[in-house]
Amino acid sequence: MRVGLFVTCLVDLMRPRIGFAAIELLEAAGCEVIVPATQTCCGQPAWNSGDRASAAKLAKKVIAEFEGFDYVVAPSGSCADHIRNEYPSILADEPEWLACAAALSPKVFELTDFLVNVAKLENLPGHFSGSVTYHDSCAGLHSLGIKAQPRALLAKLPDVRLKEMNAAEECCGFGGTFSVKFGDISAAIAERKCTNAVATEADAIVGGDLGCLLNIEGKLRRMGDEETRVLHIAEVLTAK
Amino acid sequence: MESRSHRFKENAAAALANPVLQANMRTAKGKFVDKRAIAIKEIDDFEGTREAAKQLRNLVLENLDLWLEKFETNATARGAKVLWAKDGAEICRHVAEIGKRHGIKKAVKSKSMLSEEAGLNQALEATGIQPVETDLGEYILQINNNEPPSHIIAPVVHKSLDEVADLFEKVHQTPRKTEIPALTREAREVLREHFLTADMGISGGNFLVAETGSVALVTNEGNGRMVTTLPRVHVVITGIEKVIPTLEDLATLMRLLPRSATGQSISNYVSVLTGTKAPDELDGPEHLYYILVDNGRADVIGSEFQEMLRCIRCGACMNHCPVYQTIGGHAYGWVYPGPMGSVLTPLYTGLENAIDLPHAATLCNQCGVVCPVKIPLPDLLRKLREKQTDKNLRPWMERAVLKAWAFVAASPTLYALGAWFGVRYLKWLAGGKASIPVLSAAPEWTKGRDFPAPEGKTFRELYAERKAKP
Amino acid sequence: MSSREDILGRVRAKLGRNETNAVAARTGIDVILAAKAQGPRPHVAMEMSALAGRLIDKSLAYSSTVDQIATQAEAPAAIARYLAGLGLPTQAVIWPKLADLDWAGAGITVAAREAQDADLVGITGCFCAVAETGTLMLCGSPDSPAAISLLPETHIAIVPASRIVPGMEEAFALALNELGQLPRAVNFISGPSRTGDIEQTIVLGAHGPYRVHLILIDGE
Repeated sequence: MRVGLFVTCLVDLMRPRIGFAAIELLEAAGCEVIVPATQTCCGQPAWNSGDRASAAKLAKKVIAEFEGFDYVVAPSGSCADHIRNEYPSILADEPEWLACAAALSPKVFELTDFLVNVAKLENLPGHFSGSVTYHDSCAGLHSLGIKAQPRALLAKLPDVRLKEMNAAEECCGFGGTFSVKFGDISAAIAERKCTNAVATEADAIVGGDLGCLLNIEGKLRRMGDEETRVLHIAEVLTAK
Repeated sequence: MESRSHRFKENAAAALANPVLQANMRTAKGKFVDKRAIAIKEIDDFEGTREAAKQLRNLVLENLDLWLEKFETNATARGAKVLWAKDGAEICRHVAEIGKRHGIKKAVKSKSMLSEEAGLNQALEATGIQPVETDLGEYILQINNNEPPSHIIAPVVHKSLDEVADLFEKVHQTPRKTEIPALTREAREVLREHFLTADMGISGGNFLVAETGSVALVTNEGNGRMVTTLPRVHVVITGIEKVIPTLEDLATLMRLLPRSATGQSISNYVSVLTGTKAPDELDGPEHLYYILVDNGRADVIGSEFQEMLRCIRCGACMNHCPVYQTIGGHAYGWVYPGPMGSVLTPLYTGLENAIDLPHAATLCNQCGVVCPVKIPLPDLLRKLREKQTDKNLRPWMERAVLKAWAFVAASPTLYALGAWFGVRYLKWLAGGKASIPVLSAAPEWTKGRDFPAPEGKTFRELYAERKAKP
Repeated sequence: MSSREDILGRVRAKLGRNETNAVAARTGIDVILAAKAQGPRPHVAMEMSALAGRLIDKSLAYSSTVDQIATQAEAPAAIARYLAGLGLPTQAVIWPKLADLDWAGAGITVAAREAQDADLVGITGCFCAVAETGTLMLCGSPDSPAAISLLPETHIAIVPASRIVPGMEEAFALALNELGQLPRAVNFISGPSRTGDIEQTIVLGAHGPYRVHLILIDGE
C-alpha cells in the first residue's frame, strides 16, 4: 500500500530523526512510503487561533498533496486528528472541498494507530533497552483513541519496561499557541507532568506528539533534570 | 458582579505566585477527580445517560419560548408568581420590590450564581434588607468582605483551613478553632439563628420542571431546605435556560449532576418544590416568586453557541481543567470560572471584555470528555477565538505573526527557506548545548522552561540529501 | 414592553417562531409531556427483599444507620433503644400522622406539631424510599410537616418495606398516582446533612441533622 507521510512541521524543523524513524517503521510494515516535498503545516495553529481563512488555505494544500495515497500517516496524534476530524468543519462552506476533506478523512492515521490496526506490524526494526513512561497526548487520546496502540508496540520490545506514571492522560500544558501566550501557566502545568513522569524513575519519557515532548523536555531541563531522556515513540521503536 | 476578566493575565500571575492557593488547588484537584471517576462507574450506561441528558436539554432549547410558557402556566396554577428579568439590575429591582411588599428585614440565601451575576447582596443592603449567605462556603466569603467565589459548587476551594479559622476567630469573636467539624458547628449555630429569624428565603434553581411547575434544588448542607421551608416568602432566581420537561428528566439528570459535581451517587437533599403552603400546612412559604433571568442567555439561543445553554452547573469541566487546576477560579475574573466560564463570560459580558478567556485553554478536551451533557467546550472556545479574529479584537502583533506564518506555510519555497535559516539560527543560539535557556523570539516559552535545540538541519533537507545519494 | 415580552420575543425571533410552527411545536411538547420517557436506568433488582437490601446498603454508604423490625407497633420500642444507645433525649417532635403509636409505653414523649429550634429528635415516616440510591422521599402535608426531618440534630424515619421503589421515576409516579399532583414540598433525603466546603473534607451535620436512622418495617 502507498502511504503518504505527513512529516509535520515540528518534526521537519526540530527532530528530523523522528521522520526517518517513521519511514523505517512504515517500510518495516511493508508500506511504500512517499514524502510529498511541498508539504509544510496542517494549519492547526491557524484554526485554533480563530483564523478560518488561513486554516482553509492550508487544508486545501494538504488535501491536494495527499489525496492520491491509500493512507496518510503522521507521527503526531494532534496533526492526524486535525486533518482527519477538523478539515470537514473548516471546509464546511465549500461543498467541493468538503467532499475532498470527507474522502481524505478516513485514510488519515496517527503512526502507532496505523502500525497496529492497519499495517499490523509484527517485527520491530529497533531494540531499545530500558524503562520508559508514556505520556498520552490529548488530541490523540480523546479524538483518535490512541492509548493501547503505543503500549502494544512497546510491549513487542523485549528489553523495554513500561512504568506508568500517575495521571498519564493529563495534559502536559503545551496546547500549541497556548504555550507562548500563557507561558507561566503552561510551564506550571508542565511541571506537574514532569513531576509525575520523573516519579516513575523511568529512563525515558515517551510520547507520540513532538509538541508535548518539547514542552516536557524544556521543563525537565529547566528543573535541572539532564538525565531523563525524552523520546518520540518512533525513536524508541527504531532504536539501534 | 463587575468583571475583572480583562485582567486575566495579571490575575493568573498572582495566582501562580500565591503558595497557599497553589497548595489548596493541589489538594482539591485529587479529591474532585478521583471521586467522580469512582462514582460514574456505578451507572451501567453512563455514556447513554449523558446522551439522554444532552437530548433532553436540546429538546428544551429548541423550543425554549414554549417550554417557558408551559412552566409559567403550571407554576402559576400552583400559586407561584413568575417574574422576568432582563439583567442583573432588574433582578435586584424585583427582589427589592418583593421585600418592600412583604415588609422584609432579613433574607437568607442558598447558593445562587445568578445572585452573583446581579451583585444582589449589595443591592439588598442598599434597600435595608440584610442578606445572609447560608451555604457554608458562601457564608465564609460574605464575612470576608464579600469576596467572590472561585468555584461554582465549592466557593472556597481556594481557601485553607487556617484561613477560615482566622476569619471565624476575627468575625465571630470566638476562641480560634482548628478542627473543620468545630468550625462547621460554629457556622451552623450562627446561621441557625438567621434561618429562624429571616422572613425571606432566596434560592437558585437547579432545574425548573415544566410538567409540574416545580423548582428542583440540589444541596448537601440542608441550607437550601431551610431557606425554602422556614421564611414566609421564597424567591427563586434562575436562568431561563434551566427548564426541563418532566420529572423523569429530573431523575435522569440527578444520575449525572451529583456524580459529576462532587462524586456523590446522589446529593443529600433533592427538593422538588411546587407552589405555596396550603392553609392547613404547618410549614412552608406563603408566597413563592420565580425570577426568570435572561442576562445574555436569550441572545445565545439560535446561535452557534446554543449548546452552552445545556450546562447544568456541575463544575466537572473546571475540576478537570489543567488551567483551572493551576490558577484557581478568581483569575477568570467573573462569576463562572474554568472552561464553562471561558465560554459564558464573553457571551454574557461581551467578547471584548474577556479577550483572553477563550485562549486560556490548551484545548486538551478533558472538559468535553467529562461534561455530563456533552457540551463540546473546546469547539466553543475555538469558535469564540474565530469571532474575535473576525472582529479584529486580537492584538495586532499576534494577528500579524499568524498571517505571516500562514503566508509562509502556504508557499513551500518560502517555507523551506525560512526553515533553513530558522533551524540554523536556533542551533547557533544553543551553542552546542541541547537546549536554549532564553529565546527572545518566544519569551513566554522560556520564562518557565528551556527551548530544546533543533538538530540543525530540516527533515526536508536531509530527506533530499538521502534521495540524492545513489 | 414588559421584560417578559422582551425576553420571550427575542427567544422567539432567534428560534424563527411563527404561528404555524408554534402549533406544531406545542403539539410536540404535549407529546413529550404525555410520553414521560425515561433515560437509561441502572440495574436495580426488583424483588422486595432485594430492594430492601439495596436500600440498606446504600443508606449505610450515606452514613445513615438502619434497624429492622417486623411491625409498625414495634417502632416506639426500637426508637427508644436507639435513643438510649446513643444517650439521646427521649423527647421528640413527630409527624402528626404517627402520633397515635404507643410512644408513652416506650418512654418517649412526642409532640405532634411543626419543628422548633429546640427539638433535638425528629420522628417521621416517609412517602416512599428509593432503593437505587438509598434515599427517603418525604412529602410535606398538614400531618407530615417538612421541617421535622430538617431542624432536629437526629432524624428517625419509619420506612415500611412495601414502600420501597427502585428509582426516582417510580417515586414520582407513586406520588402523582396517590396524591393526584406533586405536593408542595417533596424532599429526597440521603443520609445526614453534610458539607465539604472547607478543604473538601466531608463533615456530617451542616445545617440539617447530624444523624439519620431508618426503622425498616419488614412486614409492612
